[in-house]
Amino acid sequence: MPKVSMPRSTPSLDMTPMVDLAFLLVTFFMLTSSFRAPEPVFVDPPSSTTEAQIPKQVFLVTVDADGRVFIEITNPAVKELVLKDMMRDFKVQMSAEEVKKFAGAGPIGLKMESISSYLELEVNARAKVQQAGVPYDTLNIKKSQLYHWAYNARLRAHDDFKDREAEATKRGLPFDKDNYIQFAVKADGNTKYNVLKNVIQVFREAKVKNFQMITGLEAKPKD
Amino acid sequence: MAEIQSNGGGGGGGKKRAKKQSTRVDMTPLVDLAFLLLTFFVLTSTFSQPKVLRMIFPEKLDEKDLKNMKQPEVKDGITILLTGGDKVYWYRGALNDKAVLEETDYTKNGLRKILVESNLTLLTQLRDFEKQLNKIDEKDTAKRNAIDAKVKQAQRDSKLVVLLKNDDKASYRNVIDVMDEFMICQIAKYFAVDEGMAPLEKKLIDLKTKS
Repeated sequence: MPKVSMPRSTPSLDMTPMVDLAFLLVTFFMLTSSFRAPEPVFVDPPSSTTEAQIPKQVFLVTVDADGRVFIEITNPAVKELVLKDMMRDFKVQMSAEEVKKFAGAGPIGLKMESISSYLELEVNARAKVQQAGVPYDTLNIKKSQLYHWAYNARLRAHDDFKDREAEATKRGLPFDKDNYIQFAVKADGNTKYNVLKNVIQVFREAKVKNFQMITGLEAKPKD
Repeated sequence: MAEIQSNGGGGGGGKKRAKKQSTRVDMTPLVDLAFLLLTFFVLTSTFSQPKVLRMIFPEKLDEKDLKNMKQPEVKDGITILLTGGDKVYWYRGALNDKAVLEETDYTKNGLRKILVESNLTLLTQLRDFEKQLNKIDEKDTAKRNAIDAKVKQAQRDSKLVVLLKNDDKASYRNVIDVMDEFMICQIAKYFAVDEGMAPLEKKLIDLKTKS
């Protein structure tokens, strides 16, 4: 009887399917993920059972537990225009380059006068700056900077909507009527409600009435 | 390495042949890289987009209008009072010395039970409409719209009015929680009172906490 000889083979493992799988997942995560926007303060919003999604474009008002107000506009073009309006209203000079920088700088909680020096800093150094919040005032609302931000943003948002609508009709493209800049409030759950009420009062003075309160998700109770 | 090179099975004298080289590429570093990227994207991506609760505030009134405006009188309703320390108080009917203040909480058996019991008429109506809707074919828009109109009418006719008042100490979380309860209990008419609590209400809370 001949000797049974085991075939000599290399103990190799075919890695190709694993690579396929890994890259498939990488592609999936790359395409679906949206990066967390940098936040100047940590805000822990309360949760609710609503299922409405956050609008595509927002004027985001962040209020932290101490009542500091930060603003952000997700549309960079509109953000630049609003900043230019603000420079006109408060007679602040800023270079065209700084205006560009501002559009990508994320939420800002500073008075107009100190935005310029904030933008000069390196991106990493900006995170260390203690921002005092956009100043507002409940007695003399119309003079406060927050009021002007809200007012200018509302006008610019309206213009932006009209422009895009005109553009769409001119080209005969479908127009998404829900895609306009809406006012969203993201406040910490521990913020005193009266503080928030005062902030909202400033916006109401600027004829902004409709707010999307950003909340975390909570399971819906069963009846 | 996942692959061990072995040069077996060759030679044995005779003709010299060109050595057969393996055409395999070692994939291991590629897998390492792929999984590194994968981990990075998994950890940095934000999956759940935040949800929003829509709130509409009335336009600001002039001083003149404010003076002419009367405080809403609530006869058949509930007033919810929010204060610090996550405490909720409520009373039924109009505010006077006879008003009985009661303490409750944000749990299922607290505020929700009160609201559901008070809103039972509307809730049963809405449930009936929902059953009717389920029976109707989805394409039958005319019938669907008719029921939608009925739902709106029922909400308009609802007698229950809920007022929400807060003091300086109440937090935003409390307000959102209560608003959320309103949504869950499908309260048709609720108002957040801008002026906050009346002095008498504050007094009632003080008495309640002391006793």
